[in-house]
Amino acid sequence: MPVEELSDGIFNLSIDDRQMLATRNLMPGISVYGERLIVEDDVEYRQWDPSRSKLGAMVLRNFEIPLTYDSTVLYLGAASGTTVSHVSDILRDGLVYAVEFSPRTMRDLLQLCDQRPNIIPILADANKPQSYAHIVEKVDVIFQDVAQPNQAEIAAVNSKYFLEENGHLMLSIKSRSIDTVASPKKIFKDEVRKLESGFDVEFEVLQRKELEPFHEDHLGVLARMFVDHEEKE
Amino acid sequence: MELDEEYDVLLRDVCIRAAKSRISSNDTDDVRIIQAVQALDDIDRNVNELSERLLEWYGAYFPELELTGEALASFVTSFGSRANVPAGHPLHEKASGSMGAEISFADEELLRTFASNLCSLYDTRRHIESYIVTGMGSLAPNLSDIAGALLGARLISMAGSLQKLASFPSSTVQVIGAHRALFKHLRSNTPSPKHGIIYNNIIIKNAPWWQRGKLARAFASKISLAARTDLYSGKKNPSIRESMEKKLNAIRAANPSPPKRESKPTGKPGPKGRGRNRKGGRR
Repeated sequence: MPVEELSDGIFNLSIDDRQMLATRNLMPGISVYGERLIVEDDVEYRQWDPSRSKLGAMVLRNFEIPLTYDSTVLYLGAASGTTVSHVSDILRDGLVYAVEFSPRTMRDLLQLCDQRPNIIPILADANKPQSYAHIVEKVDVIFQDVAQPNQAEIAAVNSKYFLEENGHLMLSIKSRSIDTVASPKKIFKDEVRKLESGFDVEFEVLQRKELEPFHEDHLGVLARMFVDHEEKE
Repeated sequence: MELDEEYDVLLRDVCIRAAKSRISSNDTDDVRIIQAVQALDDIDRNVNELSERLLEWYGAYFPELELTGEALASFVTSFGSRANVPAGHPLHEKASGSMGAEISFADEELLRTFASNLCSLYDTRRHIESYIVTGMGSLAPNLSDIAGALLGARLISMAGSLQKLASFPSSTVQVIGAHRALFKHLRSNTPSPKHGIIYNNIIIKNAPWWQRGKLARAFASKISLAARTDLYSGKKNPSIRESMEKKLNAIRAANPSPPKRESKPTGKPGPKGRGRNRKGGRR
């Protein structure tokens, strides 16, 4: 069975002529949400379903994934931890801060944290980075999947607090959570423009692509925080 | 480097504990009551569906049986086939002269199990109901006193918590549960809803139509007062009920007969877009 490493820690397995996205299981033998485990050459991989994960869909839509084995990541909108578990797989020697607002979903996330040593759970509102500023250090990457109407703002505020210079921001924008009736194309355009110039941190948008067919009316964005050194002086 | 790792291990540990303790402190009495109210709704929904099914199914064997709901379920549980109805039983005659099909042993067993499960769901429902009544007695004695335990619990459940219910203005309490009517009112020109879930109390339900809006307003204001008393003092205060009775009676006395309806405009239609004539849409 051919195994191809797409980028650090993210694999493409070919099983019976079918392609399958997977990460290397950090906790061999444990399946987090009922996904398939595949062993090849003494390495266990976990199937990564792109229709359940925005990040997985971004991989398949050919985004340059800025995650490496030792990145630190701030994950906003961790929910019950489906995607977080794959991020934790990828960051073998790294750390992920998983922020989630709802106590109910945090309950599931905590069970994941108990298993995996590289996840730090934070029960907080991503709108208020001050409330976890004492926990989170500077991170290499912020991944955001919060489905709130002020997504761009949340991304900007958190980046300002926590993102390393030239760090990467990945976010998935759900047009329906911003406006249920307006055209997604227009919303996406507005949000990207907001990211590029609406806040006192600026981003250089590297890639933007809709996440179809895995997620309807979602836009994936990869951006780098743009630091204007001249202005600082 | 080593120090860093130690720090991360400690930080993770602290964060997990903090999140866990915040989650467990979230589990207050009203959360349990809300769960119970929702369980009650789930059971109601399922019980209706299942007893409907039992009626259809068993009807093939005993169509003359005019029982429904729990009575039907307990009948099937205790007798099964209509051939088993004893001579003295009031339904014996109907059973022996029935035009229903013969029931096979396998079917009888199956239906009996089905019906007995249904019976135990009815039991569970009563159990939950009494749990709510007891729970409300200690969580919200005043609210139970004013609105009744079940309606009070339902209000808490719909508001999200006792705290939220207490912080709502009473005009909101008045229309909790009337979302569709309320939003339709806000969007188009339909009249505003007079009452939401509080309609289920006999104060409103049994009132004549012209008093309902006034009574609902007064009732909602006393509910707010009771919820706030429950949240902040937790002690029962009988004066709330007394003042409510007084207020309600005053309203009833002041509005003894229906107001005259405004005479209909003759010929020309009235100003468009206002009032009872434009109620279209789903109800």
